[in-house]
Amino acid sequence: MLRLVLKQTMAHRGRLLLTFAAITLGVTFVVGTLVLTDTSRKVFDDQFRDASTEVDIVIRDAVAFDAAMGVEVERDPLDPQLAARTATLPGIDQAIPVVKGTGLLISDDKAIVPAGPSMLSSWTGVDGFTLREGHAPGGADQVVIDAATATAHDITLGDTVRVQADREADLRVVGLVGFGESDGLPDTTVALTSLRTAQRLLRLGDGISQIDVIAADGTATSSVAEDLRADLGADVDVAASQDTAAASAAAAKSQLGFITGALLALAGAALVIGAFLIANTFSVLVTQRTRELAVMRAAGATGRQVMTSILGEATVLGIAGAIAGTGTGLLAATGLRSLLDAAGATVPDGPTVLSARTLIVALAVGIGVTLIAAFGAARRAARISPVMAMREGALGTTGGRGRLRSGVGVAFTAAGVAALSVGGATESMPALGAGTAALVAGMVALAPMVAPAVVNLIGRGMIALTGRSVPAGLAREAARRAPRRTGATVMALALSLALVVFVSVVGASVRAALQSGFDEAITAELVVESARGEMLGGLEPTTLKKVEDLDEVGTVSPLRFGHWKDSGATRALTAFDPTTIDDVTDVDMVEGNLTDLRDGVVITERQAAERGLNVGDTLAMTFARTGTLKVPVVGLIDDDDARALSTDYLVSLASYRDWFTERVDATLLVRPSSGTSVHDAQVALEDALEGMPTVEVRDQASAAEARTASLDGILTMITAVLMLTVLIAMLGITNTLALSIIERTRELGLLRAVGMTRRQLRTMIRTESLLIAVAGLLVGTTIGVATSALFVRAIAQGGDLHLRVPTTGLALVAAVGLVVGVVGGLAPARRAARLEVLTAIRE
Amino acid sequence: MTNLLNDTPGTADTHAVAAPTKPVAVRARGLVKSYGTGPAAVQALDGADLDIHTGTFTAIMGPSGSGKSTLMHALAGLDVLDAGQVLIGDTDLTDLGERQRTLLRRDRFGFVFQSFNLLPALTAQENITLPLDLAGRRPDPEWMARLVDTLGLGQRLQHRPSELSGGQQQRVAVARALVTRPEIVFADEPTGNLDTRHGQALLRFLRDACDDLGQTIVMVTHDPLAAAHADRVVLLTDGRVIEEIADPTASAIADRMLQLDTEADDRPHTAASSTDTLQEG
Repeated sequence: MLRLVLKQTMAHRGRLLLTFAAITLGVTFVVGTLVLTDTSRKVFDDQFRDASTEVDIVIRDAVAFDAAMGVEVERDPLDPQLAARTATLPGIDQAIPVVKGTGLLISDDKAIVPAGPSMLSSWTGVDGFTLREGHAPGGADQVVIDAATATAHDITLGDTVRVQADREADLRVVGLVGFGESDGLPDTTVALTSLRTAQRLLRLGDGISQIDVIAADGTATSSVAEDLRADLGADVDVAASQDTAAASAAAAKSQLGFITGALLALAGAALVIGAFLIANTFSVLVTQRTRELAVMRAAGATGRQVMTSILGEATVLGIAGAIAGTGTGLLAATGLRSLLDAAGATVPDGPTVLSARTLIVALAVGIGVTLIAAFGAARRAARISPVMAMREGALGTTGGRGRLRSGVGVAFTAAGVAALSVGGATESMPALGAGTAALVAGMVALAPMVAPAVVNLIGRGMIALTGRSVPAGLAREAARRAPRRTGATVMALALSLALVVFVSVVGASVRAALQSGFDEAITAELVVESARGEMLGGLEPTTLKKVEDLDEVGTVSPLRFGHWKDSGATRALTAFDPTTIDDVTDVDMVEGNLTDLRDGVVITERQAAERGLNVGDTLAMTFARTGTLKVPVVGLIDDDDARALSTDYLVSLASYRDWFTERVDATLLVRPSSGTSVHDAQVALEDALEGMPTVEVRDQASAAEARTASLDGILTMITAVLMLTVLIAMLGITNTLALSIIERTRELGLLRAVGMTRRQLRTMIRTESLLIAVAGLLVGTTIGVATSALFVRAIAQGGDLHLRVPTTGLALVAAVGLVVGVVGGLAPARRAARLEVLTAIRE
Repeated sequence: MTNLLNDTPGTADTHAVAAPTKPVAVRARGLVKSYGTGPAAVQALDGADLDIHTGTFTAIMGPSGSGKSTLMHALAGLDVLDAGQVLIGDTDLTDLGERQRTLLRRDRFGFVFQSFNLLPALTAQENITLPLDLAGRRPDPEWMARLVDTLGLGQRLQHRPSELSGGQQQRVAVARALVTRPEIVFADEPTGNLDTRHGQALLRFLRDACDDLGQTIVMVTHDPLAAAHADRVVLLTDGRVIEEIADPTASAIADRMLQLDTEADDRPHTAASSTDTLQEG
């Protein structure tokens, strides 16, 4: 049996080629994603494990939570006396005071801006950094940097680099370090100085960030930690360094989780669309082999055996696709990394990790998708009766399930539309999600009915436009004749284009909402903000001072962001300066006002409604530094205006200083002094901030644009990836046509015999391809626009509706659809035209 | 289908004698065609000569592998020859390119095949007008009506081939072959898939088309009963025309065929047949 299956598969390998390609592409995507994220995870794990080889216990200020949104929270400095005291306790070998913070490296007046953090730390000699060259930093003007950065920027021992933190200083490079085996940390610059220097640069006075504890030989870490906890009290956090490393790694990896999820969702889309292609192929193969299968049945094969043989072929194909996909997936990981990089989501690179789990998933996905897709055809094959071996013609009639199928399709479609209407009316995301899923399922079931009808309509339109033409008419007929096949092909393209349309409409709408909110609410003419992603922590510490000192600046109002926990969920808030906020913004308050805000929180109208809160009530907010506080609600703000300030929760800078250790300004809203033009003020700002390459000065309009920059990057990436699904859908058209040509060989031969020219034949096949593509385009655009419009309504949650149907985006989709139609038909058309008339008739 | 193409009633038994004065519609000389290479090569045509006169009904016969189908395909421009000449009027078919041959088939020939004559997606009417549609021409309504009427297809025009009987399907094919008023109709075993009754009716119709309309018809068949409807039978052996029978009767054909089969069995394959008697007209 196995031999037979292998033989059959090999015999049809030409016909299975595109199917194989579709499986391979889907698996490639899955493997690429897993390899990429596994590799990055491994980098994080290694990094944090290596970092703590000698240190047993880390003592830090206690916080309510370690990290939010993949960023570790900052902790308050510790009393320096604590280190000395710890050292005297029993079971302690060493207690080393450590200072950690952020310090930008500047070499030759050029800032070195890594994709990740710019790390500034005091030298300990035990935290995983090992000297490769030179010596540890001793004097106040000495620094040790990582060898990787040194190599990349041509820095050698004896060179001077500037380290810019809260203060900045020119330091001499006296040593280069590696980290474990590697020359540094991924996407990171490392500057290590003496404790004093680090304290000075970070303006910590004599405060320290943490104490690295090494237990005396022969003592158990856990018992030492117990003792320390008892001795030092609840104000400090005593943790095994392994645990802190694991926590740090987990925090870093949590961002990877989002990326993995998003990429796998896209991979899923590619697989679903590929499944249509696979299903079509097997359906055609079974039809073409009806005779042969009937002979098998006549020779004594049971229906089950026939079915097994078809599913066996699917399995062989799935395995082959999985293996090939794993190979290409390893390459795709690199491509995905650059794609993410371009989108502004940098993930660290390291030695490629191909885990057993990835291999298992690849196999499971390859085989699973192929089997599921081939199941329908296999079941049909099992029902072929031995009599059909004797019957001429009438092959491939489909029936039986038609009524059931349309019933299911209608039910799903109706349920989908109902859920979408309810979801749209109540702006409920879950209802919309379920509705979309049901609608898509319904459309897929109805595709054999809907798609040929759409094709017919388009064909009519085309014929009306171009005049009666036999090739066009025949193309239309051919597309209608195999409704299931046409339906699947159309739906594959429709779904992939619907996704593109969906992303495009939602993206454009969110973009419009973000920008219009900003335009309306922010009155400051100039905005100073970090050119880097928000996660990487805002402006250099000295920025505000430099801006304030300028004569050209009238008002400067800083904004800061922070994370807090809302019974488990992580939320963001915005802190502002109540004394200046009115000069730089114009927001609509529903109740209260921003200028009076001291303690308490202003929340959006929507949040108030959802939480059933009103002014005078309290909101439980958990901050890393303070734990849970009952914060009084003192005002309600308009939703859209709050969006201009980035979050739904607004607090005063004074409160922020009480609740957060972080001291980083995210944005400075600036108005020029009276008599200074915006342009002059901008020039003055740019001059003053010249030494800070990560700081951008933007006018109001470009700041509004910048608000959406990261969104644009992500949208572009998603769209680029979705194009892969469109490509698979195009392969689907080519595949369907190629198979249908084989099936229609005699028919084509007859046409040629009675006088159809090669050109007419090519036109016919190309027209068929175009008809399918245009049908997919119409159906896909309709689904995409309808669902995205409802989603945008739901996102707006009763706020201003910013539905944007981007004409350029849709034009692009239409162009892509047409290109798919034209290109998809090229190869089959050429192939059909090459048919020898006689061979075709004789077949 | 007993009533025929025009007011002059014809009968199936009246075989018009091919007058030698009739002009030649197709002149074939020295046709050579082989398939495959090396020891597996098959010499399908080996210097076949043939004239087809306008307004005659010619049947091509021969044992299996004698090259009769290849000969017809060569005459119809469906196949490319290794050597030889096929003149249609003044046009040498062997000089024509692929596209020109296609247009020639479309505009000047009609075809009836043994099976799979019709496109399943098209109605009977659309199948009939296919060559005209491909040429972008409109059918002559009178001619169309007469064909449909004579072939008894009036009630079936909007039906698809799957809704037609085998005989009806072949009649539609004949209508298609005639709709362009072609110079020559080529029929390849047109009755091969029909029962005797339907087969005879179809042949009578072809006979009438020849008699009443002066339609030139070339038919390949292995059935003496079918061939008996023709004005003459051309016998092929080993890729050559060896004999012609004028005004054939079914029994005469059958006898001669049997004889040829026996000779073919006795004769060594390499020896060129010395009994070839090439008769013209």
